[in-house]
Amino acid sequence: MKTMFKKAFAVVLAAAMLLTLAACGGGNTANNTEYVIGVSGPLTGPAAVYGVAVQNSAQMAIEEINAAGGLDGIKFKLEAMDDKHDATKVAANFAALMEKGMQVSLGTVTTAPGLEFTKLSNDDKVFFLTPSASGDKIPEFDNGFQMCFADGNQGAVAAKFVNGLGLDKIGIFYKSDDPYSKGIFDQFKANLDKGIATVETVFTAANETDFSAQITELKDCDFIFMPIYYQPASVFMTQAKGVLKNNATYYGCDGFDGLAGQIDLTTIPQEVSMLSHFDATSDAQATVDFVKKYTEKYSAETLNQFGASAYDCVYAIFNAMKEMKAAGKDIPVTISAEELYTLMKDHFTGDFSYSGVTGNDITWEDNGYVNKAAVKFTLKEADK
Amino acid sequence: MAAKKHIKWSHYINYAVISLATIILGVLSIVGALPASYQIIFENIAIAITLAVSLSMVVGFLGELSLGHAGFMCVGAYLGGKTVYLLAPVIGEIPALLCGFVVGGALAAVCGIVIGLPALRLRGDYLAIVTLAFGEIVWSIFMNTSEETFGGALGMPTVRIDRDYLFVIALVVVLLCLAVTQNLIRSKHGRAITSIRDNEIAARATGINVTKYKLAVFAISAFFAGVAGVLMASSNYTVQSQKFNYNYSIEILVMVVLGGMGSINGSIIAAALITFLDIKLQTVLTGELAVLQDLVYAAILIVIVIYNNAPGLKTFREKYNVKSLLGKLHNKKHDPANARDDEAKWDRVPTKIQMDEVLSVDVQVKSPYDPDKAGKGDN
Amino acid sequence: MEIIETLINGLSLGGTYAMIALGYTMVYGIAKMLNFAHGDIIMVGGYTLFVTLSTMGMPILGLALAVVVCVVLGVTVEKVAYKPLRGASPLAVLITAIGVSYLLQSLAQIIFSSAPRMVYVGGQDGLGFVTIGSLKIQKHILITLVCSVVIMVVLSLFVKYTKIGRAMIAVSEDKGAAQLMGINVNMIITITFAIGSALAAFAGFFMLMKSPSLTNTLGAMPGIKAFTAAVIGGIGSLPGAMLGGLFIGLIETIAQVVPGMGAYTVAIEFLVLIIVLLVRPTGILGKKRREKV
Repeated sequence: MKTMFKKAFAVVLAAAMLLTLAACGGGNTANNTEYVIGVSGPLTGPAAVYGVAVQNSAQMAIEEINAAGGLDGIKFKLEAMDDKHDATKVAANFAALMEKGMQVSLGTVTTAPGLEFTKLSNDDKVFFLTPSASGDKIPEFDNGFQMCFADGNQGAVAAKFVNGLGLDKIGIFYKSDDPYSKGIFDQFKANLDKGIATVETVFTAANETDFSAQITELKDCDFIFMPIYYQPASVFMTQAKGVLKNNATYYGCDGFDGLAGQIDLTTIPQEVSMLSHFDATSDAQATVDFVKKYTEKYSAETLNQFGASAYDCVYAIFNAMKEMKAAGKDIPVTISAEELYTLMKDHFTGDFSYSGVTGNDITWEDNGYVNKAAVKFTLKEADK
Repeated sequence: MAAKKHIKWSHYINYAVISLATIILGVLSIVGALPASYQIIFENIAIAITLAVSLSMVVGFLGELSLGHAGFMCVGAYLGGKTVYLLAPVIGEIPALLCGFVVGGALAAVCGIVIGLPALRLRGDYLAIVTLAFGEIVWSIFMNTSEETFGGALGMPTVRIDRDYLFVIALVVVLLCLAVTQNLIRSKHGRAITSIRDNEIAARATGINVTKYKLAVFAISAFFAGVAGVLMASSNYTVQSQKFNYNYSIEILVMVVLGGMGSINGSIIAAALITFLDIKLQTVLTGELAVLQDLVYAAILIVIVIYNNAPGLKTFREKYNVKSLLGKLHNKKHDPANARDDEAKWDRVPTKIQMDEVLSVDVQVKSPYDPDKAGKGDN
Repeated sequence: MEIIETLINGLSLGGTYAMIALGYTMVYGIAKMLNFAHGDIIMVGGYTLFVTLSTMGMPILGLALAVVVCVVLGVTVEKVAYKPLRGASPLAVLITAIGVSYLLQSLAQIIFSSAPRMVYVGGQDGLGFVTIGSLKIQKHILITLVCSVVIMVVLSLFVKYTKIGRAMIAVSEDKGAAQLMGINVNMIITITFAIGSALAAFAGFFMLMKSPSLTNTLGAMPGIKAFTAAVIGGIGSLPGAMLGGLFIGLIETIAQVVPGMGAYTVAIEFLVLIIVLLVRPTGILGKKRREKV
């Protein structure tokens, strides 16, 4: 009797699966009525705040573009899918995005799934400009471009800055199981003057709440390099109050952005600086406008550089398409991803430049790395 | 004789369904009628079935709770995946994949034996925690390897076998896994294994070599988990070790438990349905709806488990289900001769977690000592 | 001095783990189920604390409210998700517990968004330091340590000397016999969930006192570590859970300060666990199980 039940169930299951196949179309853009921009990012789970920021900001940019009439009357549409910061979920997302008519992409939000996305998009020749997947290998092929700095470059630039400070000992605090943090750390270490002694402390995803052991180790350091995201950084700084030297400097990379929204930096005695492309507290006009629009539409808690960068990505793609159309290129709404890729990559590696929230006169190198000014933002001076 | 024949046929129904599906889907794929998203779904389903069936051997038939199945998979994915990556340029993708299966599976099996050793000494939750610990140790070791060896935090690049036929290979692996598992379970060795689950001391007393069987089950189960790992490595361009943390082990366990302990067909169906649901939720609930995925998944999980297992719903369940409705159609009576050796009533003796023996004498529905009533009487 | 500081840090971290492990082990001892949603009760307590602090700003009131909310939630979850399954396989209950865990995390993200929230239990500047000789210890670490010890002692006394406490022991030893003696088993199970959830609220308070960042996955990792602690101490045993918690906290802290070992913290923790279990197969204080034939 039980076998009967199972048999029936299995047959029904198999039949259901086969039937659903018929309902599903192939990956084509022939039926598009809008330009479709696809992105895969962590919309749930521990990294969700980054994915949500990208989704919100990209959506905001698209709504602005559409309200202004789109590209010669053709509107844009965002398809954002959740990858839970898990590379094995990207293949399904990518296939689904292709079937939804994706023509151009923002890649992924984070690096780990991005490594998968890079290869998949190269197979199908989809142009992507990622706001925040900063891994060095993300723009490995000619279809991939970054709006953020690549990790290795950030590490190297940070090391050069530190070499110039004339310190003989620095502390480093990084997350060993995070490609972003590890990527910056490796290049930082490689480019650091050999004469500078380092105290290296690490943490992992399994322990992001208690840094007392690491803080105890870093007690004697005047300068602490922290290539990590703002959430663990805010925990570290809170826990280090009174333990670390008050005249010490916390020096981070673009992951630090968001700190000001997270903790009241005036209560931190140490200096907090970062090398970044965006600072939400900056008084640059573009930044002020973006922050105002974002906080009106969404909550201020999810505002960070990921979002700013995604906002720029959408506008950069839009501007590029607009310029190409003005130059007489044909970009119908049903253009295939591959055709658009050929146009876009030539345009991005040509003399295209873009000015937005995360920088002015941004250009791209032939290898997909971004070329823009990294600014040292001092979020807070050390207490006197 | 007729009864015997019927049993045989029902033994092979799952092979038949899966083979048929493999052939039809394979043809569809070659013709180009199978969308990429479905190729990916079937790859994932095949991987999930292999995992669920292999875990079911340990949990359902040997009766030991394992929370580290993803650890074996991790070993297979990294070492087998590396083998494929190194050999593919030399001997071609398919032969390299086969070598990968052998290497990944064998090394995972070795780990299975290593983990099986404590199983000789530990019971229930204590063993569960050791398997969990094993899984966590494995992935955190691969996490800290250098970029040249296993990629470390950035993950290890692998060869992505063409998705037009990888799922066919994966379904063949499922068939192989089924063949090994079912034949083992239905042999005298299988009866020895289930007897260890039901009463280890009695089994030992009847002369069953408990040590040998426990290690063998762990090894075989780990072998197929390793093979599933190789499949996963080959269905992606990278493997990243965080994937194989305890959450993934629990996901596999959910499939086995939902399918019904000690029921291989149940595991297959549950694995297929959960994977299908998971990917569909992920690709349908997009954008701002994405937060609802876990909500829907959790709600479905809770409702199904309560519906399937709540003692209070037993009468309801027996009245309205496919089984009884079909039974009415066929008007067949339960014949003890048709009972299968491997058919474990999973509310009977599912695992050796020590709570079982307490629970088996516990609040039964018909118990005259209904605690609620007793309480009310006091008031 | 650093060694002593590290040890105190470890004990305080262990105190928090012990608090969660106590909840695990009590529920296990009495309801015979692994409550994988226990960690998420901590998270709910954390959000209650966050809401109270941002609207009224009194940490102690926040703690009280967190305890109330957690207790209500714990009992509701027990009634809705676990009670219908009493008498079914413990693994089925394990799966609903996982379902409840997903559900709570998902609801938290829907209500409070995915952005981390800062919850300053001791004010923005923390609680300051206590200096003993050349030792400089953060006050919150001492508070955690002292409170966890007090709570554990109170709990032990409660279980040992009150009527309800002894009923709990009776139920955990033999449910059938306890019922026959007129103990309302369902009531005892509910009380156990209530106490476990209250402990989770305290644990959440201590965790946020140390690390003010609150997200919907706050309880996931501590939950699994506390489960480990409960097992290493001998699951079902209260002193075992305390000991296990302190033990795990110490190993974790020590592994982090050994040079070059930081990245392997998790591996070391679990390796020690395996070794302990191989030497003591039923945990440090677990009872040896009688084998019935």
